[in-house]
Amino acid sequence: MTANVLILCAAGMLVTAYLMVGQKALFTTIRLYGLQSFLLGLVAATIAIAESRHELFITAALTVVLKAILIPWFLMRTVDRIGIHREVEPFLNVPASLLICLGLTVVGYRVSTAFQEGARGVGHHLIGVALSLLLIGLFMMVSRKKAITQILALLTVENAVFLVAVGVTSGMPLIVELGISFDVILAVLVLGVLVQRIVGRFESMDISRLSKLKG
Amino acid sequence: MSVEALLALVAALLQAGGMLAAAPLLRTGIKKMKARLQNRQGPPLLQGYYDLAKLLGKESVQSETASWVYAAGPRAYFATVVAATTLVPVLVAAAPLEATGGILLLVGTLALGRFALATAALDTGSPFGGMGSSRDMTIAALAEPALMLGLFASALSVGTMNLGVLVRDLVQQGPSWHPSDLLAFAGLFIIVIAETGRIPVDNPATHLELTMIHEAMALEYAGPDLALVEWASAVKELLYLTLLVNLFLPVGIATGFAPGALLVALGAWAGKVFLLAVAVTLVESTNAKLRLFRVPELVSVSLGLAFLALAIRFL
Repeated sequence: MTANVLILCAAGMLVTAYLMVGQKALFTTIRLYGLQSFLLGLVAATIAIAESRHELFITAALTVVLKAILIPWFLMRTVDRIGIHREVEPFLNVPASLLICLGLTVVGYRVSTAFQEGARGVGHHLIGVALSLLLIGLFMMVSRKKAITQILALLTVENAVFLVAVGVTSGMPLIVELGISFDVILAVLVLGVLVQRIVGRFESMDISRLSKLKG
Repeated sequence: MSVEALLALVAALLQAGGMLAAAPLLRTGIKKMKARLQNRQGPPLLQGYYDLAKLLGKESVQSETASWVYAAGPRAYFATVVAATTLVPVLVAAAPLEATGGILLLVGTLALGRFALATAALDTGSPFGGMGSSRDMTIAALAEPALMLGLFASALSVGTMNLGVLVRDLVQQGPSWHPSDLLAFAGLFIIVIAETGRIPVDNPATHLELTMIHEAMALEYAGPDLALVEWASAVKELLYLTLLVNLFLPVGIATGFAPGALLVALGAWAGKVFLLAVAVTLVESTNAKLRLFRVPELVSVSLGLAFLALAIRFL
């Protein structure tokens, strides 16, 4: 039962990552990130119940409150203020991006079998999904122009690392997790302000314009 | 004719009749739920039947330039969809005519119907018909491979392409709990929305020239011909939803023909289809229609998911 819920949540996270790649509307992408974080919280809660590790409940609650509610709300407010709602044109079109993400997922899954825990069972799927998410996040960071999408890509990478930390290892100490959580929210706040400054200066979120700063 | 073949024939007739009877209710049900979400009253639940009765009672009008292809189109479309219903397990974990073929035959039969309707829409030479069939074919060319890949991914969990055997084994061993299932389900759900002309792809409630796809193909038809096209489309929608729930949520499906088990299966089937219909309604109510040139992006997402579902089984 536990294994089934874990696999279902991990697969759900992968699906949301794919939908994020295939999406251009910023609001939907942010909502998908919220859903992904919620599933991550569900993974943590499931492990907490199954192995009766109560400190993981705090992790799960922190994940849901911060990453599934607070950060999406803040990012949506930023987008609303700026008034730019769409990724105009990424460096690569959607079908090509999806094709690359397919390849990245295959690589992630293949590599996961090299780990001792990843050879079979739930660990295989968790590590496979996490590595795929990591690669997809990195890919989104280099292939998108909008600053908000890049923040979301960074957060996806963070989710991937968290998934491995919670699902496969015995988990990080609570103090480290608290530190990471506040790190993330601080990063999002700073990046949100940065985005507003970029828009204020260039009247666009297109970060490829930043290279025109010189001279 | 042997007794078994006769039984299969009777079961096929019953199943096709049942699907034909239930399909208009699904269409109206989705319309009604959508209306309630918009704070409107919506049509009465039986409106689909009234509409069909009204259309069937009218005389058939056709253009002077129309040939036999025009008249054959709706009939062939209707016939292929009805034939397709006998290839899918609905209440019992066996398809009535499963001996004739599996996934490939199902996809092929539906493609034949689509071809018949598209050529018939071209026949009168009306610009809207041509536009509609060209758009429908564009989407179908992308959606069909995704549909097949998604179904293959599901077939791999058991190792058979025959839908009857597939559902039977799934009922016995339970869901396989593999990430591939969820990926394939997500991919197929997008395909169902694209194939049934629901909102991110097509809008069933409008006849606006620039956006319509399915409606453009049916624009030239009136009376009984139109009734056949609409009825067949409704049955096709019910068929896709049934396929989805029975492959990915094989719960409550009867394994024999005992009346009690059949009643339970009927309730379970209706409940599962209703849940999926609610999901379709929510998608339709919360999304805006995509521009036509953005539709291939959506369908390529589902193609990607379906391919991934297939690939993960081997990794």
